[in-house]
Amino acid sequence: MSALPKRSALVAFVALAVAVLAVLPHLAEPYYVTLVLPAFAYAIALLGFNLLFGTTGLLSFGHALFVAIGAYSTAVLTSKMGVKSFEAIVLVSGVVAVLAAVPVALLSVRYVRIFFGILTLAFGMLFHSFLFKFYDLTGGDTGIRVLRPTLLGMPFAELDKTAFLIGPFYYACLLLLVLLGLAMWRVVHSPFGLQLVAIRENPRKAEYLGVRVRLFRFLAFLISAFYCAVGGAILAINTGQADPELAYWTHSGELVFMTVLGGFASFFGPLVGAFAFIFLKSELMGATQYWRFFLGATLALIVIGFPRGLMGVASDLWRKACRA
Amino acid sequence: MSTTSELLIEALGVRKAYGAFVALDGVSLTVSASETVAIVGPNGAGKTTLVNLLTGLLKPTDGVVRFKGHDIAGIGPVTLAQRGMARAFQLVHIFPAMTVAETIAVAVVSQTGRSLHLFASLRRDAALWAKVREVAAIFGLEGKLETESRLLSQGEKKLLDIASAFALVPEVILLDEPTSGVSSGDKHGIMTTLVAASKRAGVKAIILVEHDMDLVAEYATRIVALQAGKVLADRTPDAFFGDPDIVAAIVGRRVGQSRENA
Amino acid sequence: MTSFFDVLLGGVFHASVLFLVAAGLQLVFGVQRIVNLACGSFYALGAYFGITAVNWSTAHGAPAWSFLPVLVLSGVLLGAIGPVIERLLRTVYKRDEAFQLLLTFALVLMFQDVLRFFWGATPQQLGNLSMSYGKLAIGEVSFPTYNVLVMAASIAIAVSLGLFLQRTRYGRILRATAENREMAEALGADVRGIYASVFTLGTVLGTVGGALVVPTAAASLDMPVELVVEAFAVVVIGGLGSMRGAVAGALVVGLTRALAISFYAELEVLAIYVIVIAVLIARPAGLFGKPVE
Repeated sequence: MSALPKRSALVAFVALAVAVLAVLPHLAEPYYVTLVLPAFAYAIALLGFNLLFGTTGLLSFGHALFVAIGAYSTAVLTSKMGVKSFEAIVLVSGVVAVLAAVPVALLSVRYVRIFFGILTLAFGMLFHSFLFKFYDLTGGDTGIRVLRPTLLGMPFAELDKTAFLIGPFYYACLLLLVLLGLAMWRVVHSPFGLQLVAIRENPRKAEYLGVRVRLFRFLAFLISAFYCAVGGAILAINTGQADPELAYWTHSGELVFMTVLGGFASFFGPLVGAFAFIFLKSELMGATQYWRFFLGATLALIVIGFPRGLMGVASDLWRKACRA
Repeated sequence: MSTTSELLIEALGVRKAYGAFVALDGVSLTVSASETVAIVGPNGAGKTTLVNLLTGLLKPTDGVVRFKGHDIAGIGPVTLAQRGMARAFQLVHIFPAMTVAETIAVAVVSQTGRSLHLFASLRRDAALWAKVREVAAIFGLEGKLETESRLLSQGEKKLLDIASAFALVPEVILLDEPTSGVSSGDKHGIMTTLVAASKRAGVKAIILVEHDMDLVAEYATRIVALQAGKVLADRTPDAFFGDPDIVAAIVGRRVGQSRENA
Repeated sequence: MTSFFDVLLGGVFHASVLFLVAAGLQLVFGVQRIVNLACGSFYALGAYFGITAVNWSTAHGAPAWSFLPVLVLSGVLLGAIGPVIERLLRTVYKRDEAFQLLLTFALVLMFQDVLRFFWGATPQQLGNLSMSYGKLAIGEVSFPTYNVLVMAASIAIAVSLGLFLQRTRYGRILRATAENREMAEALGADVRGIYASVFTLGTVLGTVGGALVVPTAAASLDMPVELVVEAFAVVVIGGLGSMRGAVAGALVVGLTRALAISFYAELEVLAIYVIVIAVLIARPAGLFGKPVE
């Protein structure tokens, strides 16, 4: 709700970003284009995550659980049930995650703040241990293979793996990101979104103004689970594997990291954060074997010095520019 | 010829005990339309407990509390708002990062049943913002619609808190020390605004919890005095202030305690 | 029967070590309201440093039996990083809990590579050192003396902590600060100093716990993140902020893990977390925690 540039400027920015992303495969090296795919995946996942965190004020340290559900649903659908349609995969993964989210959310939304975080961490680890240990069902530590999906029924069999990923699949993901982004924009700027913000700002007052706090937190949770699962599906198709480490608590921590890096108080923050994190991590991994240290140092820097993330820095600069 | 006023709230023989401690003992009172009922009494007399019972936050140990004929024991704030009663607290509650307009909008959205509209555009809902402006104007906040709540003055925050409660279009509004924290010069101004606003907003009755007896004398149509969990008096202001024993019991107890809560 | 006792004692041993880390977590949360995700990192640091210390001391002529005191000492010495980390966390005390949690997560990431830098990626261990104290035999059951010593040490520490918190003046001040920071400050408590001391004590408990475990387990780069999984189960089951909860939770987790491993290995962590969820449904504040919300 802070000062945004005019609507038309916003639309222009977004259109520009989409255009850049659309031509990227033709301009950039395949290596960089392959990085954009996980960025798409996380961008979608974080759109959902931030509905719960930035908008509703609930910090979950277990949302990687839903990313993993998305990945494993995709794996089971493609390699065990013969379902190859990307559209069906996305939908089913999302629905499975929502179903799984129901008991988790029911229990977790009774609590707030640190207790909510710990509870969600517990659920995440519960799922991870299930994935890791039940080899017969889940493939244990190797996970389950993910086969290439069809896009609008087309298998693109003539393309090899990389060509498929940076070609038709890239555009399918971009489209998905745009559609899901528009949907989330609507939700955040709807009467429902307003009530969520009220819940974040002062849950007690919100109740007295007739807002059903627990129900709305519950709904926000379910929506966030859907988005995370879609992100997980894209990740799984990209790597060709559903891996139990997707559900580990440190992966949930990374989701939070990315969101805060981009700026949790802004709608675009998580999107920026996803891209920034993926590229930062990739560059660091290429530069040193101690990349985790520098990644951690970046997070510490953001938390201490730039809590509103990259979008916060950008909006400060914008404000200064406007005054000049 | 007198018309019987609509009975809105009815508390019958209400008793609230916490183990051995009895907070309220056999309290009965009614609130009808067109009334402004002030609840007074020293701290510890049971005002807060009574108010919590009248607003459905607590369940009575004994007795019953009815709002428009329905038992409201323990219904909670959300259902309370849906049934038509709003409550504003002594300590100012705001949504710090939300603007004045957005704050009032929260109430209007719940009141018009639009809370679950996930895909409707908030921005383009002209009717919503018209209603918001209307409520804000009643409380003199129309100039601050786009200001974030945390940037308002204490008095403005108080007005906003109450304004958002009014936006629920309640039939009964309960104001918990509405002028506390406000400088004495402003107190009368706020009370006049509140009473006028209530009429305009279609509020049928006001319940007031107040320490300031001047305000009570001027604005209340009836005074209910509590003492040690029981109703000491339930009279019109004239009858109340005309009885020296009652006045001494309520005012005398509070010697040495400043009445200005500024 | 013997194997059942072995399993039981193994579980209690694991619980003893877990308790130390959990006690540190509880202290820091109880007084400072910070959930320290880096507790596992301190534990791992204690483990690695302990190995280095023992190897160093043996190389310099220390007798074989001295490894236990060396481990304890090295763990205590590592407490020196406590004030340093606390100083870093101090920058976000006034902020939302989310940021505090995130900062400790940043520490987890950073510590991963600090450990890697100093000790490399291969797991390290102390060989059969734990056997050098021999075994204690009670009837048919025999158990390494070292493990018994560790359990005894853990109990001793638990009792001392309890007495410290309940009976000493400083302990009372700590509890007061945990209850109500502003009030304690208004009454003259040096809250800054208290925060630094509490955090350091929490750190030492973690590093000593890690040091004590190395004769029986390898130190690896997985330790920091793996321990958090169990440590959290302990504090959730026991109740956030409660020392008694740390004991109870540690016992539940330690024994569950030992039993699960011996009967149906797949169940290990799963069993622990099923209990966590069950406790949260039945008694949301944990066994000894204060009611929440």
